[in-house]
Amino acid sequence: MLKLALKGVLAHKVRLAMTAVAIVLGVAFVSGTYVFTDSITRSFEQLFRDANAGVDLVVQGVSDFGTTVPRIDEGILANVKAVPGVEVAAPSVSGSAQIVAPAPCEKGPGADPAKPCPIGGNGPPTLGFSYVPEGVGLTTFNLTEGDWPAAADDVLVNAHTAEAGHLAVGDVVDVITPAGVEPFHISGIASFGEDDSLMGATLAVFGFDTAQRIFDSEGQISSISVVLDPLLDPTVVQAQISSFLPDGVEVITGADQTENNLDEFASGIGFINTILLVIAGVAVFVGAFLIQNTFRIIVAQRTRELAMLRAIGATARQTTTMVILEALFVGVVASAIGIGVGVLIAFGLKSAFGAFGFGLPATALVIAPRTIIVGFVVGIVVTLGSTLVPARKAAQVPPIAALRDVDTPPRSLGRRIAVGVGVTGLGLLMLLVGLFVTFDNALSVVGLGALVTFVGVSLVAPLIARGFARWVGGPMARTGVAGRLAQENAMRRPRRTASTASALMIGVALVSVIAVFSASAKAGVADVFREQFSTDFQVRLTGFSDPTAAGLPPALGAALRTLPEVSVVVTDRFGDFRFAGDTEAGFLLAVDGPYDQVVHIDMVAGSPADLGPGDALVGRADSERLGIRVGDTVTIQFASLVTADLRVVGIYEDTAIGLPLVIDYTTYEQHIAFRLDRFVYVKAAAGVDLEQARVAITAVTDAYPSAAVTDTEELIGDLESQIDGLLNLLVVLLAFAIIIALLGIVNTLALSISERKREIGLLRAVGMQRRQVRRMVRWEAVLIALFGGVLGLAVGLALGIALVVAVGEGLRLTIPGGQLFTYLIAAGLGGVLAAAIPARRGAKLDILDAIAYE
Amino acid sequence: MNADTAAARVENATKVYGSGDTTVTALDDVTISFERGKFTAIMGPSGSGKSTLLHCVAGLDDLTGGSVFIGSVRLGDLKDKELTLLRREKVGFIFQAFNLIPTLDAAENITLPVNIAGRDADPAWFDTVVDTVGLRDRLTHRPSELSGGQQQRVAAARALVSRPEIVFADEPSGNLDSKSSAELLGFMRRAVDEFGQTIVMVTHDAHAAAFADRVVFLADGRQSGELADPTADQILEYLKSLGG
Repeated sequence: MLKLALKGVLAHKVRLAMTAVAIVLGVAFVSGTYVFTDSITRSFEQLFRDANAGVDLVVQGVSDFGTTVPRIDEGILANVKAVPGVEVAAPSVSGSAQIVAPAPCEKGPGADPAKPCPIGGNGPPTLGFSYVPEGVGLTTFNLTEGDWPAAADDVLVNAHTAEAGHLAVGDVVDVITPAGVEPFHISGIASFGEDDSLMGATLAVFGFDTAQRIFDSEGQISSISVVLDPLLDPTVVQAQISSFLPDGVEVITGADQTENNLDEFASGIGFINTILLVIAGVAVFVGAFLIQNTFRIIVAQRTRELAMLRAIGATARQTTTMVILEALFVGVVASAIGIGVGVLIAFGLKSAFGAFGFGLPATALVIAPRTIIVGFVVGIVVTLGSTLVPARKAAQVPPIAALRDVDTPPRSLGRRIAVGVGVTGLGLLMLLVGLFVTFDNALSVVGLGALVTFVGVSLVAPLIARGFARWVGGPMARTGVAGRLAQENAMRRPRRTASTASALMIGVALVSVIAVFSASAKAGVADVFREQFSTDFQVRLTGFSDPTAAGLPPALGAALRTLPEVSVVVTDRFGDFRFAGDTEAGFLLAVDGPYDQVVHIDMVAGSPADLGPGDALVGRADSERLGIRVGDTVTIQFASLVTADLRVVGIYEDTAIGLPLVIDYTTYEQHIAFRLDRFVYVKAAAGVDLEQARVAITAVTDAYPSAAVTDTEELIGDLESQIDGLLNLLVVLLAFAIIIALLGIVNTLALSISERKREIGLLRAVGMQRRQVRRMVRWEAVLIALFGGVLGLAVGLALGIALVVAVGEGLRLTIPGGQLFTYLIAAGLGGVLAAAIPARRGAKLDILDAIAYE
Repeated sequence: MNADTAAARVENATKVYGSGDTTVTALDDVTISFERGKFTAIMGPSGSGKSTLLHCVAGLDDLTGGSVFIGSVRLGDLKDKELTLLRREKVGFIFQAFNLIPTLDAAENITLPVNIAGRDADPAWFDTVVDTVGLRDRLTHRPSELSGGQQQRVAAARALVSRPEIVFADEPSGNLDSKSSAELLGFMRRAVDEFGQTIVMVTHDAHAAAFADRVVFLADGRQSGELADPTADQILEYLKSLGG
């Protein structure tokens, strides 16, 4: 049987190669993801180890959750220095500092060439640190040019930043910090680690005093790096230091610090990993459809051969084994190739990240044993799993089929409907439960539900394939014989048509879900802002940014407050917190100024105007959950684990703000070190023309190159394009699954054409032009693709609507008809593309071969 | 017989397959004319080159040497597209099997060549042909719902419906029982007598060949003789004399 199976593989090289391509792509995506993220993790692991290599102990603020590490009192430094055995205690202050390259500089199309360019941002952090002489050697900064910052207006930048901004030692650059925008003099350039690749992060180093000033940390520091007498036991000293540290300050070993850094990094990269793996999973799932279809067609075409084997004494078990062995062979070979291709993909991803300014350390790609094992397991399991049904079919071929054409009777329609509808129902049920019932792993249940739904729909699809081809193929048939034959060809094997279309359905459904979700999110955003913003203008960072890591210097808001053209200026900030007793952390909003005058808030009780230091506004859901009323005290916990008792002065409808807690700036700054504003809301003074106000505001913001002034409609437009950008990225990644599905169409058509060799020969003999043969194949492909597209749109719409309804808050259900129609057209064009090679092959068939008798 | 009255002819036709030691000469300097309005049968044992001759005259295969004419058109000069058009307009085919497109019904199969050309069949002529072959009540049936004889009659009707200059039939009755075979051949005979159709048929069956006006014998790629208006017995006699 092994020999026969091997011969079978060789005899069907081409069609199996197409199947193999599907597995190769799926496995490549999976292993490429692993190689890519493993490589990044490995290189940053090295970076973090090096960074903390010489440090025995680190004293810093406790940060149990969130991203901002609280500062600690500078006075602790003297106490640490006084501990016996402490050789070096180097303080450090860190914060956000963005270097601005002077004009002219490289920027996107349409930007004003006379404007300067802030370097970095838009995702990667712009980090600022302090320099103290005793700290040299405790960090991985390697001075490559110039000197460390000495003067108050000195700054040292990392090589990546210098390169991006074409900066040299001696240049004067503006730096945006919480203190505002100030000119600094570049004293030196250093590389961080070996090759200064930090995924696009920019680094700026200032003198210690300057750093304290610009990071708004006078009398405070971020951490102390401690080097001990090597003869001492670090744990003893650690205990000694720990004994006098106040609450909210901790001392940990350098090794633990490395682990913390790694954990933090892993959770960041884990997100990318998960997204990529989910998309790889989709690709594999689509590939499974293609494999199953190919093996089924091959088994059908080999009915005679299998029957012959049965006639001469092979058992049903043996024919099944033969098909499975073939699949196993294909699975193993394709997985091996897939892993190889995956390494190339990882390499490509790395280069792509580099090209977009997210430079990655140039370490070798990491191919972990796990990557290879998972690659093989995925490839082989999927191939074998998809072959089960065709293999069972192979067993059912009766020996008599060798002697005459017997069509094994298809399973009864009723049973098929029952099974298909049942499976679809189960999938939808899982989806709805996952979406609307709250429990752990709800998201996985949603994903599994979607998969089951796809399988269910693909089971029902053959029943509607004929009707679809009849109706949609109708106009096609009227264009001539080629169209008529294409329609009939699509109808004659509804299962094949449906199965091929189902693979495409999955990709189309997912992009449709994304389209529905993004349209609803955009509509929701527009609604919320239009309804709630009573401000005339907003000032915020251009582009995409994390509001807990980047923002506008508070100096900007202060400058705007002095303008006579404006009446109200309010700023807000994000911060990490949780309600005491909760385990899940969330974001709070801090506001400075009469927030209720720029944003309309639906209040359940109390008034936002009462918000002062030590006060809080709480969202309705949490107030009900915690049983809080106006006048009560709510206890909240910050990342430092320090708690604060706040007096509740108001309760608002959750949709009004979207965050569960609002506090004022005084309370915020007591507990949270972050000092950048998210929005500055500006209202023009009475009697001042809006255009005039805008001119005055812009005159102030011009000094802040990262700031953008918008009115509410412009803000909505910006946010909409940000949503589009994010979701388009997902669509591009899903294109992988769609390409695999199109390969499935190529494969099915190629197999069908070899099956219909005689027919095509006859058509050619009685006068059909090659052009007409090509057209016939193309129309069939278009029909299959459109069928897949329509199924996909239907399933995608259902899933998308369910998702939007489940998420609810902040979304308004919107069906982007035009966009979905474009997808359908694109699916049809994809069909034309997929038909190219099979159509050529069909047209080139030798007539004599085609009509020759046995 | 001269070139003007011939619907098709071959001159010094040679066809060689393979190369080197494995060379097979299927046609060896054959010159034959097929007279317009006549039913010609080509006979010969297996490997005599009769099917190759038919394929080459019909423009399905090309010659190694010599020329083929359909009417006054020399096929060797034509590109694939022109050859396809010529087959569509001037030639009809009846094969031994696989004559019909399984997804189309009988009527659609009959009008297939006309439809491929983007035209509709002449309804009067279509009716005449359909009635002649006796398929009136079978027009909406698909090939799988027709008997072997009916399928071949559909193929014959298809070959005639475009009023081709010449119809080529390759063992058209090869898979049929004697009754269906006689019906089909009788119909082909009527097409020649009543419509003036030219038919060239390859067969190894003397009874089938007896329906022809003229029987040409091939052996080893050469013409070995011919009979005019023969009976089946005459043909059998002749074959015996060849074999003897």
